[in-house]
Amino acid sequence: MSYTLQYGQIWPFLPRLLEGAVVSLQIAVLAFCGGLFIGTACAAIRTFGPRWLARVAGLYVVFFTNTPQLVQIYFLYFALPDMGILLSSFAAVVIGMTLNAGAYLTEIQRAGFESRRASEMEAAEVMGFTRLQQIRYVILPHVARVLFPPLSNQFIIVTLGTSMAAVFGVEELTGEAFNINSQTFRSIEVFTVTAGIYVVLTLAASVALAFMGRALFRARTELI
Amino acid sequence: MWSQIVEEWPRFATYYNFLFIAKAAGTTLALSALGCVFGSLIGLGLAVCRVTTSRWLAPVRVVALLLTEVFRRVPFLVTLMLCFFAFQATGYDIPLFVVAAVSVTLIAGAFLGEIIRGGFKSVHVNQWEAAAAMNFSLIDTIRLVVLPQAWRIVLPPAFGFFVMFIKDTALASQIGVIELTYVGKVLNNKGFSAALSFGVILLVYFLISYPLSRLGAHLEARLASSRHRRA
Repeated sequence: MSYTLQYGQIWPFLPRLLEGAVVSLQIAVLAFCGGLFIGTACAAIRTFGPRWLARVAGLYVVFFTNTPQLVQIYFLYFALPDMGILLSSFAAVVIGMTLNAGAYLTEIQRAGFESRRASEMEAAEVMGFTRLQQIRYVILPHVARVLFPPLSNQFIIVTLGTSMAAVFGVEELTGEAFNINSQTFRSIEVFTVTAGIYVVLTLAASVALAFMGRALFRARTELI
Repeated sequence: MWSQIVEEWPRFATYYNFLFIAKAAGTTLALSALGCVFGSLIGLGLAVCRVTTSRWLAPVRVVALLLTEVFRRVPFLVTLMLCFFAFQATGYDIPLFVVAAVSVTLIAGAFLGEIIRGGFKSVHVNQWEAAAAMNFSLIDTIRLVVLPQAWRIVLPPAFGFFVMFIKDTALASQIGVIELTYVGKVLNNKGFSAALSFGVILLVYFLISYPLSRLGAHLEARLASSRHRRA
């Protein structure tokens, strides 16, 4: 093996990688929040909604969890212009990832909704709560505690998924790594540094989420 | 969009296009299968390393912990690129399929290591202590005492991850492995509309993944319920 590692050439590019990491986090937060909204709505529909609507939500989940995210974004990015909808690569990636995260979050949230206790629901009914009030005041606070660990786990998965955006030319962390690689040809160095940034980023996110969960919901999250 | 697909379909539905897709589906399946098999072995190794208690093996535990944590926290695309360039630096001509298989295996090993370790932890500590009291070696303890009880816990999530690998291998198209996603791009470049070429690829993925995820759900229900019955 005649390859000699030369990290010296990479350090000047570190600020660009960090800028990319910020974009990665932006995509992750956007996709996760959008996905959480879709997931909550779909889980509520699947648990409480009319049957035909529950079936539609079920089809959405089954389709998006059984096909690769990358191909879904390819489809959005390349097929929608044929229908007259032009998306920037950033928008296509965020929409694709939101829809994908929404499907997984529906399944996670549904497990949470199903973990509610029958007695609590009966108590709420006796108090004359409407369906919406039952969800808002009884189910959500109760399931937040149960759901926090799997949700923060999913956030990490979404964060890792943002690296896919590089394929569509978005200049997030992996995208910047591709750019710097084509400028310096120090491939192993660039990608080890990138991998290190991802490890630090997701580790920091995990720790922050674990503390947040403990403080807000007394959720028990394992740190490592 | 529909009229376009209907118009293109006769040109698309040729024997060679379907053969191309079928071969690519084979590559996708082979990649995921290799990831499952070798990933399980590595994962079991990592999990066993992490439950050792001897003071002399502390460095092994640290290495196992680092390997699992790092490969679970680096995106698949970055691992793939690292493997790609690392193999390139060796100067040997290594097939792209092998590069992709190695990266899938590394990721699979890390995730399955965590799943298997979770299964180990689910076996009550008394069982471990009883085995130790009977003077079982660590390997015997795991083989004869722990694994027979842990596999019910391990199998459902492990199966979920196997199904996930099928979709993760889509990224292997980025280094030029001719699998399903790559074929989608090729068909698109051949002049078929994106809706048709990627739509067909999405459908093929779905046809592979859906039966397996149903099987996983069935497995989960069966194994979990039998666990409850026993308790």
